[in-house]
Amino acid sequence: MAILVNRETRILIQGITGKSGMQVTSELLDYGTRVVSGVTPGKGGQEVDTVPVFNSVGEALREAGPVDVAMIYVPPLASYEAAVEAIEVQIPLVHIFVEKMPVFDTARVIAHASQKNVRVLGPASVGAISPGEGKIGSVGGPAPDAVFSKGPVGIISKSGGMCSELGLLVTNGGFGQSTVVGIGGDLLVGTTFVDLLLEFEKDSQTKVVVAFGEVGGSAEVEAARVIEEGKFTKPFIVFLAGKFAEKLPHDTALGHAGAIVGLEATMEQKIKILKNSGAIVAENFEDIPKLIKKVL
Amino acid sequence: MKLYEFEGLRILSKVGIETPFFVMTSDLDAVKQARKRLKFPIVAKVQVLSGNRGRRGGVKVCTTEKQLTAFAREHLGKEFNGEQVRFIALAEKVDIESEYYISITYDTALKIPFLLFSQKGGVDIEEVKKANPEAIIRIDFDPLAGPIKKDLEKIFRGSTPNRGRTPKEDRLIDFILRLWDAFWRYDCRLIEVNPLALRRAQSKRGSVNGEFDYVAVDAKIILDDAGLARHRDLDVLSKGAISAIPSQRELAAKKIDEEDYRGSAGSTFIELDGSPRGEAGDIAILASGGGASLLVMDAVIASGGRPANYTEYSGNPSREKVEKLTQVTLSRKGLSGCLVAGAVANFTDIYETLSGFVQGLGQIKPKPDYPIVIRRGGPRQKEAYEMLRRVAKKEEYDIHLFGPETPISVACKKMVELSNQFKVQSAKFKVNGKK
Repeated sequence: MAILVNRETRILIQGITGKSGMQVTSELLDYGTRVVSGVTPGKGGQEVDTVPVFNSVGEALREAGPVDVAMIYVPPLASYEAAVEAIEVQIPLVHIFVEKMPVFDTARVIAHASQKNVRVLGPASVGAISPGEGKIGSVGGPAPDAVFSKGPVGIISKSGGMCSELGLLVTNGGFGQSTVVGIGGDLLVGTTFVDLLLEFEKDSQTKVVVAFGEVGGSAEVEAARVIEEGKFTKPFIVFLAGKFAEKLPHDTALGHAGAIVGLEATMEQKIKILKNSGAIVAENFEDIPKLIKKVL
Repeated sequence: MKLYEFEGLRILSKVGIETPFFVMTSDLDAVKQARKRLKFPIVAKVQVLSGNRGRRGGVKVCTTEKQLTAFAREHLGKEFNGEQVRFIALAEKVDIESEYYISITYDTALKIPFLLFSQKGGVDIEEVKKANPEAIIRIDFDPLAGPIKKDLEKIFRGSTPNRGRTPKEDRLIDFILRLWDAFWRYDCRLIEVNPLALRRAQSKRGSVNGEFDYVAVDAKIILDDAGLARHRDLDVLSKGAISAIPSQRELAAKKIDEEDYRGSAGSTFIELDGSPRGEAGDIAILASGGGASLLVMDAVIASGGRPANYTEYSGNPSREKVEKLTQVTLSRKGLSGCLVAGAVANFTDIYETLSGFVQGLGQIKPKPDYPIVIRRGGPRQKEAYEMLRRVAKKEEYDIHLFGPETPISVACKKMVELSNQFKVQSAKFKVNGKK
């Protein structure tokens, strides 16, 4: 089953003629994912790796047929308009790969999307992969099979690198994954831990969910709430990174825009809230496969 | 980027918000000159990024020249709450009728901007939340529409105390609309005015005419770094990651990303060289990825090591960017190790980025003889490692390579062990050298 992406998923790539756009197109095609069209204003009529390029999203849909996902691979200050173009025609999932998108633009994109009943994944999201089924974005790069395998573990991380790292750890531990999702580390993101937990709850393939949590933000605290409310009932294993930063002054910003020391809850508070909700907090990153074994 | 009060006040002025007249000073001469443009009492305020400035003695109402000079002498160029004071603002004293608190920031759970208004200003909002939660009004904004005037009228009609002859509510609503303007126009993550002062407006002849207006007596603004690209005209000073005054390395690292948005390298660089920038360390860190970099720092510390810095490069930065970041990071003296670590990359070209590392490494003088531990995986990692082995042999670098089969924490532990051995060795060498 998996979530967000499967064998049938049809994809449109905005910014397909750019360097990252071209690269992700060939990676997706190699993985067997259906990239049906691309958009770069002014470059209509070209082709990228056999995928036809159009001048607008509307034109792409008319000519190459409907899609389930629009992937945004454009420069940061052009992302707002690109995302709104996809939202206006109600493409069900808009994945924003773009990093360094201004937070006000993100807030407006999310507001547009909720009016149109569209899901936004990102910004700064590496994408999502349902191993053996399909993928969105650049997760796993050109060689996803080196780290991901099919199975019962759902994975959530803000960080793209940690998606792969967790995939590798879990695969080496003998477990496959249902879907691995990088939600992006910005202050505001379209799809949160909670949104994904609710999806994983409905997914019969997923038996346990593993998440890579970070200093700053409230993602983990909200996750604890849906567990407490009984809306997510499967085992939830979470690792928290960034303890070192607790010694730094408040408001110190780290690599992810959302990783801000002292924002919302401290590390200690997060651990306590998670444990109280029944979530399993992994002390060491490498302990995760052992913990999966225990609950499966 | 967090702004100084005076930088924040300037932004507020741009959208037509009333702010007290003030003069910036950075030395005693400037204080003397500024004194001529102001009347006593003068409010002297140190410009620092940390909060609770007033409570720590950083704000003083001076009624005489002597007091003013003494205050300037005490603070200019000196440490204040771990931060060096570069500027003191000298401001006219505002006749405050009542004090309020107002702020706009983002709710990360609801993913919308919201406003907080408190009847109790001039004190910490967190304390008001605890003691007088009923004094606080929260208003959520739709980012597409912003605040709706009619809604604000409904909320504030009658809730403002001290009804005067003029509708103060209208003035407050006007203030809120302008504050929102500043918030989105300048890509703020936080804009906070505390206290927001209700003042009896002065007529042109200087007499009180019975009207009121709202004045932003203080301003705390945090700009969204991602928005800075569209405000190149904004006149703000570069800030360090922690301290207001960035270290040379922090400044140099920040510059790397300013020219090119593709991939990031050094946007966040924290020099860990003792208070206030964390504990001083001796292991240089070049981590990759917002998430993995946190894991790396935690793992080094858990193994008993002390990082000399925090920084990360991610996305798919060019060779040149990584080269520059390597140069900046390794320019620190007294290092006992260098750790290049990250998760299994999705789309970062490991050959490109590690080539940049090697290019940067080659420019460090004297040639690094401390151990270098590299743990990476992802596109073109094998090619990159072959290249590194060749370079290490040729240049006699002490490079230790780990692939994705080695957990990040194990590589970090190895780094700490090698660094400790290196320190022991070089201590011995020094003793022997003296003989």
